[in-house]
Amino acid sequence: MNVAAAKRVKYIEVAIKVHDLTKHFPNILAVDHINFEVYRGELFGFLGPNGAGKTTTINMITGITKPTSGTAFILDHNVIKDPIRAKEHIGVVPDVPNVYDEMTAWDNINFNAKLHGVPTEKRINRARELLEPFGLYDRRNDRVGTFSRGMKKRLMIAAVLIHEPEILFLDEPTTGLDVQSSRHIRTMIKELNGQGTTVFLTTHYIEEADQLCQRIAIIDRGKIITIDNPEKLKAMVQVEHMIEVSFDRIDGIANNLKGLKHVNEVVATGDKFRLYTEEISATLPLIFDFAKKNHLKVISVNTLKPTLEDAFVKLTGLRPEIMDMEKDNIRSHEAK
Amino acid sequence: MGKVWIEDIKRAVYIAEKDIKIYFFKGPNLTFGLLLPAVLYLAFAVGRTAEPIFAIPGVVAMAALFGAGAIQSVSLPLERRTGTFNMILTAPISLHAIILGKTLAGLFFGTVLSLAYTAIMTPFTQPSNLCLFLVGIVFSSFVFSAFGLFLSAPFRDIPQAMPPATVVRIIMVFFCGVFTSVETLPIALRAVAYSFPLTYSVDALRQAMYGSINIQIFLIDLTVQFFYAIAFLVAAIKIVKRTIE
Repeated sequence: MNVAAAKRVKYIEVAIKVHDLTKHFPNILAVDHINFEVYRGELFGFLGPNGAGKTTTINMITGITKPTSGTAFILDHNVIKDPIRAKEHIGVVPDVPNVYDEMTAWDNINFNAKLHGVPTEKRINRARELLEPFGLYDRRNDRVGTFSRGMKKRLMIAAVLIHEPEILFLDEPTTGLDVQSSRHIRTMIKELNGQGTTVFLTTHYIEEADQLCQRIAIIDRGKIITIDNPEKLKAMVQVEHMIEVSFDRIDGIANNLKGLKHVNEVVATGDKFRLYTEEISATLPLIFDFAKKNHLKVISVNTLKPTLEDAFVKLTGLRPEIMDMEKDNIRSHEAK
Repeated sequence: MGKVWIEDIKRAVYIAEKDIKIYFFKGPNLTFGLLLPAVLYLAFAVGRTAEPIFAIPGVVAMAALFGAGAIQSVSLPLERRTGTFNMILTAPISLHAIILGKTLAGLFFGTVLSLAYTAIMTPFTQPSNLCLFLVGIVFSSFVFSAFGLFLSAPFRDIPQAMPPATVVRIIMVFFCGVFTSVETLPIALRAVAYSFPLTYSVDALRQAMYGSINIQIFLIDLTVQFFYAIAFLVAAIKIVKRTIE
């Protein structure tokens, strides 16, 4: 069996099955009868704006919250009826690292290992194996309260991996982290998935979902809008083409660009203009004519493929800024 | 099935170890667990003639009450606020075992503080039946640990959990024979006193201190404390369950 065939066989097995899962909070229907499956070895993304129901869904699947109705299965174990067996197979990294500030990094990782029944000798070797690549081994005897947010997140991931979970839930793993830490965590997620770990990832970052996930579910107001792989989602918005152009000045140009033949919409993004058209070859010469007539120098012209962000906007009707606003809200909330 | 139970109990012990390690020297624990029984006793007893043999069981019972309870007013609400409780919830352990682990930590803390008070009081007088005195301490710490969990179960922060729990405990101290014998109270107040587990704790410890043990009453004291503890634990589990539903 070649590698591709082996991967296909691996994908047939269902790691997570969610059936009619629903969560009512007082006056709020947080999750509304959702259904989906995540295949074994898959890196599955759960994308949606603030309050869409992402964390509530993770909480229900992992046993932190009880669903109002419906159920979920982890490798065929019903999370409601057989939660302990289901939890033996999972590791959960929440959006805010839930490690004990009062304990050392070593004690935190050991406590998690004990809760998951990892034998002492294996625990010690594995703790070292995990802390070293995360750059935390030299700080293993320091209290976690003295760690930065990025270090705590890395420790949390290391602690969760101590029992080698088959399914890893990552809730906003890179939110609030610096660029280097985020890159480190994304690389680690890819590596883990490459080694066969099923990953369930929730994120606000559309580009992160695009980079990492093999399939993405878009959730909004408690309902799943669509589930597909990123390229197919992008193909949904491919009826329109985009041309991104920048000139040596930007004042008052957008309105004039809208008057060009074949151009349906113009969106200013920084010092560039994004023109939506169905006739890309006919529009390009018109842009150069426009520049000549208005004494503008064209700095750059690019034709763009639809991004996952475009697909997201089309499918949810939400502006991408909504996602940025959420990130800002989270950060300001954390700062309080 | 048996193996699952053993694993669950082992994990409960790990939770207890962790709680003892983290919360033993937390400020509220030391203030409420170590100092408050002494302060309350001195505030009441200075200027009065209280025989050490009568007073010491009351002080030791207070140490169990505040010691075992103080850790519970800290650990559960704090862990729910910081999210570390969620980390435990995602581990393969039952909620019963989580609550048992937390109870064991309180039992340990209450027992250590009660023994510390017993040791401090040794120059004045010693229990006539040390063995039953120790049994009394363990049962008291168990029931007050469970009581502390019950009181803190609805809360998600220490400042919310601490005041009501402290008020309830102080009220108990004045009703339950710590400073004066329950028999000297008016009948209506005596009924109130017998509805609190502290009364049975003080009575058991006092019997062991005096050495004049009525084994039936001593066993009733222990049994009542045990059933109170179970009732508090069942109620605490229900409350915690409701908060995660």
